[in-house]
Amino acid sequence: MINKLYFGQYSHKDTIVHKIDPRLKLIYVFALSVFIFTLNKYLGILFFTLFVLLIAIASKISMKKLLQSLRPFYLMFVFLLVMYLIFSRNQLNQGIVVIWRFLMLLIMSYVLTYTTTTSDLVAAIEKLMKPLKIFNIKPRNIAVMISITIRFIPAMLLQFERLRESMLARLANFRNLRHIKLIMLSALEKMFKSASNLSDAMQSRLYNENAESHKIMRLSSNDYISLLIIAVFILVIY
Amino acid sequence: MIEAKNLYFKYDEEFVLKGINIKIKEGCFTAIIGANGSGKTTLAKHFNSLLTPTKGNVLVDGIDTRKDEFDSRKKVGFVFQNFEDQLIHSIVEEDVAFGLENLEWSNNIIKKTVEQTLDKLKIKNLAKRNVNMLSLGQKQMVALAGVLAMNPMYIVFDEPTTMLDAKNKNNIMGVIRDLNIKNKITIILVTNVLDDLKYADRVIILKDGSVLYDGKKYKLNKRIMDKAGLNDK
Repeated sequence: MINKLYFGQYSHKDTIVHKIDPRLKLIYVFALSVFIFTLNKYLGILFFTLFVLLIAIASKISMKKLLQSLRPFYLMFVFLLVMYLIFSRNQLNQGIVVIWRFLMLLIMSYVLTYTTTTSDLVAAIEKLMKPLKIFNIKPRNIAVMISITIRFIPAMLLQFERLRESMLARLANFRNLRHIKLIMLSALEKMFKSASNLSDAMQSRLYNENAESHKIMRLSSNDYISLLIIAVFILVIY
Repeated sequence: MIEAKNLYFKYDEEFVLKGINIKIKEGCFTAIIGANGSGKTTLAKHFNSLLTPTKGNVLVDGIDTRKDEFDSRKKVGFVFQNFEDQLIHSIVEEDVAFGLENLEWSNNIIKKTVEQTLDKLKIKNLAKRNVNMLSLGQKQMVALAGVLAMNPMYIVFDEPTTMLDAKNKNNIMGVIRDLNIKNKITIILVTNVLDDLKYADRVIILKDGSVLYDGKKYKLNKRIMDKAGLNDK
């Protein structure tokens, strides 16, 4: 089960995308996410898709794993499509475009987490959010929260799967509302227990919200080239 | 030295620890054993300031855990029973570095210390691996590495063998003994498995929140074990 939970998991590879400064990668994902929602022409969306897939290939992401990790979202896509079919059949094209945009967002975040270690991501978020300190917001808290989410989502899904199997072994029927309620409550209880254990573990390892990442981040020639490519791509397609 | 003086603790109404008085000297291997619900983990959490006494005191090298959590925690590392929840970052070397970042060490020293620690525990090959993909035995070694990297004088192991198979059990117990003998780290082993006592110099038996026995391992006898509810025959 855990081997199928690829989404959000870093993989150590020697690629250009892995080497790009994590701050820039975060900015690119943000900029491209906004950009895809401004694209209305099919040709633009097609070029955008090709560009994103090219980045995924350059990151040595296996397409099989990518499709496998997107599997949990397929149901949501079908649901969106059905909603368009029922409520605004004449705007079905629009619905497909919306779903496609979401798919692009997912692939971009997949590439980001696949090519960036959590500590690099944490350090990048910390550095980008430094100006927020004047509002008394601690960037490390936000960064560590994101890192913990990435770390624990697969673990939580695994825990949920174990719970489901143990209930099925005792003849649970998940069409029964009471059994659904039971599994949700048990999963929540386990989640809170894990959160409490994690909080103890963080305290015992002297969690310090004021600590700053000492990672030295300097832009290299590769970073400038990537910046140029992204800027040219956005300008041309726009 | 870790010292509990007339330690009482309660979560709700009832006292879980009732007047504990113990001293754990540097360099020794102490096992705290007791049946489920005897208060072992609750006592151990006091050594790391995760809990503070309702009454009485816990001193770590003279530092009152209630008054100075940070300094007492720096001296006492804690490897949790649910060590899977102890791993904070997804990549092994990043998780080991977590405590060092909190100590605000420089990046170069953090990198060097992480490498040395992984090497010491013979898990250097796991450095770039995702913790979610590791076996239970490997996860426990990573949890230990995260604690060991912070260079504590004392390490508390809370039921370290409970979730492991025979091979991993022997492995972790061997590592714990080496830490005590070669690295001179004081070990406090919380357990309810009699087999785990084999490397301990001293045994503290808890029963219903009180110390039933505190002494050398060889002086333990069947009568005491029966009284503690630890003999299964």
